[in-house]
Amino acid sequence: MSAPAEAARIALSAAPRRWWPASRQGGRDPGAPSWLTLMVFLAPALVLYAGLTAYPVIRTFADSLYDLENMDAPRFIGLAHFVQIWSDETFLRAIRNTLVWSFIAPFLDVATGLLLALCLYAGVPFARFLRIAWFTPVLLSYVVVSILWLWIYNYDWGALNLALRAVGLDGWTRAWLGESNTALAALMVTHAWKWAGFNMVVCLAALHALPSEVLEAAELDHCGWAAKLRHIIIPLMRPTLLNLYILAFIGKMKVFDLVWIMTQGGPMWSTETVSTYVYKRAFAWNTFDLGYPSAIAVVWFIIVLAAAALLHLAFRQREKLEY
Amino acid sequence: MSQRLSGWLRASAAALGLLASAPTAIAQPTAANPQTVTMWSHWPDEASKRGYVEGRVRAFETSNPQCRVRLSFIQKADIYTSARAAVRTGQAPDIFWLEPDEIAFARNGFLEPLDKYVDLNGLEDWARASWTHNGRVYGLPLEAYTVELYYNRERVRALGVEVPGNGQMGQAQFTDLVRRGVAAGVTPLAQGVADRPFPGAYFLEEVLLRRLGPDDYRKLLTGRLSFRDPRVMAAMTWMRELVDIGAYPRSMATLKLGESHYYFHTNPGALMFPIASWYTGRAFVPPESGGQPAGFPLGLMQYPAMENSDCPECKTLAVGGSYVMYSRSRNKECAGALLNSFVNIESGNQWMEGVLLQTGIRTDPSRISGINAPYFRELQQRSEGARFFIGTPLQYMTGRCADTFQQVLNRALPGGQITPQDAATQMDAACAAAPQ
Repeated sequence: MSAPAEAARIALSAAPRRWWPASRQGGRDPGAPSWLTLMVFLAPALVLYAGLTAYPVIRTFADSLYDLENMDAPRFIGLAHFVQIWSDETFLRAIRNTLVWSFIAPFLDVATGLLLALCLYAGVPFARFLRIAWFTPVLLSYVVVSILWLWIYNYDWGALNLALRAVGLDGWTRAWLGESNTALAALMVTHAWKWAGFNMVVCLAALHALPSEVLEAAELDHCGWAAKLRHIIIPLMRPTLLNLYILAFIGKMKVFDLVWIMTQGGPMWSTETVSTYVYKRAFAWNTFDLGYPSAIAVVWFIIVLAAAALLHLAFRQREKLEY
Repeated sequence: MSQRLSGWLRASAAALGLLASAPTAIAQPTAANPQTVTMWSHWPDEASKRGYVEGRVRAFETSNPQCRVRLSFIQKADIYTSARAAVRTGQAPDIFWLEPDEIAFARNGFLEPLDKYVDLNGLEDWARASWTHNGRVYGLPLEAYTVELYYNRERVRALGVEVPGNGQMGQAQFTDLVRRGVAAGVTPLAQGVADRPFPGAYFLEEVLLRRLGPDDYRKLLTGRLSFRDPRVMAAMTWMRELVDIGAYPRSMATLKLGESHYYFHTNPGALMFPIASWYTGRAFVPPESGGQPAGFPLGLMQYPAMENSDCPECKTLAVGGSYVMYSRSRNKECAGALLNSFVNIESGNQWMEGVLLQTGIRTDPSRISGINAPYFRELQQRSEGARFFIGTPLQYMTGRCADTFQQVLNRALPGGQITPQDAATQMDAACAAAPQ
């Protein structure tokens, strides 16, 4: 046997067992399914994926190159929409709001989740009840959450302003969703409230998975709670917290329901997000032109993809450096 | 041979005849094989309008057994979103509800002209004009309205203010009324903009219409007159003065249209309510359903006229909820007959009597009776001698201009979030270049 043939034989014998059908040349693995079998099982999922995900994405990319005002005679305009986008003030404002929300709010989300998890981990009274109570908002739909917080923020009889008045802080009361400088923050708090329970559950699981010998060693060294949290718990939970941050980041880049129900992007576009703007341009501007909204969707798709990839790379790099 | 040939020919002719008549037989609805018309209507929470539409549909089905109607009541925003998607895919209902600002449906060929289905002479000329595109009429203008200023007679009287007999106040008199209301702890103007793009601008647009007159007002709405015109600035400055005094509820941004009705007549109660005359749809129902309390001292006044107003007698009259037919409908015969069944004086009067609202269908108001007839007389009284401007701002504005109107004049200016100068700059930037 020639040397290359021997090398190939060794490589084949060392290779893990394949799950895919063997090629004719490579000989057939009797345990591997045929292409036909594979396709029969994969086809339903592939058809659904192609019809409900791939085709709409491709169609959106294609539509972004057309002026579709007249449905019967689409006009190819190339990259004109993409040029126009960068002078669209509302779009730029929507990008700014969405980025602020996506980068800043996840800190609030993760911190709240961690805090609640620490409370439960420390064994606060009524922990079982609190765990359910804090997780409940995750199960509520955005519609319910929005209506609930619309009431809480109501100027006249909302719980927030009533509480402020009760403690003599009348001057602090305001129309939280009606003022440009507070509306976005008010939405961020609402969103954090809804997802705090999810972050709490994940953090709690991570806390329980921490190596007990490390924590016990710290206690033997008379390490206090704050120091233990800062120097041991948070560093050990870093991967979990970073993953939660990325999840929250991606969720916020797409946020729509909450904004639409609570402020519809107002006042003065101060809560306009890219998603609400795309929707408005597509369905609320008394026009049937889906070309421009498609262009916005394409640009935003690329930005979200790039941001998520960057975050992932940055955090992965950091992990490599530390360990 | 010839016999066989002629036999074949006869058989072929019969078969062709059958084939030719088959589509007709299928298309022709009969009582045994009725056509089912699908119809989407707004007004799920307005009992009087809903009752009227259901009544008309039932009457139509009784007199047209070959037609059936599948009627659904859906909120306006949901109808718009669904219809916009459905018309592209051929899935839209045969008849659906639209307002004239959605003329883009007709422009894109999604609506069937009603000229050959509906007796157009049974419609008011101005109402027909609101739905005319390229010389053809596309909508049945069932609902029409004027923009009114309702008030609580007792609360206003309790402040020591007497509304003049003709309901017309001047600028100073009105400002004084607002001040007195705020001093007494009563919100002067009830208003909610959380779910609608227009009510916050009602007051300003009516004041502007009177100040500018219809011609310049039309120019303003179509981007041919600047919002920095001194007369416009004066109106916006006055509006901001009223806002700073405390004219509007602080909760305006989160108050929905339906809730603003309740805010005005029940809790906490306000002096006045700038709203279209479709106020009755939500207010003239039992109090337990959210209607105004029994014996509520409802009054109607004119919008105040600023000094040097060019047209104090001007007033907005607009077509609201209308029914349109989908151009790809397979049931046009029944759908057209159904729409036409709305167009007669009896039907128009029934609408006015039951809903207490104007309509684009020709009517005979002298025949209106019933327990709410006095209200309707007052509504008519307030429009006597009026010079009507047809259409609301959003029926003239599109795209960015309409969006800016919604954000700036509907929300930010009455919410005290923007100065008149900034508002004018934003409106000019969005509307001056807008395609008309």
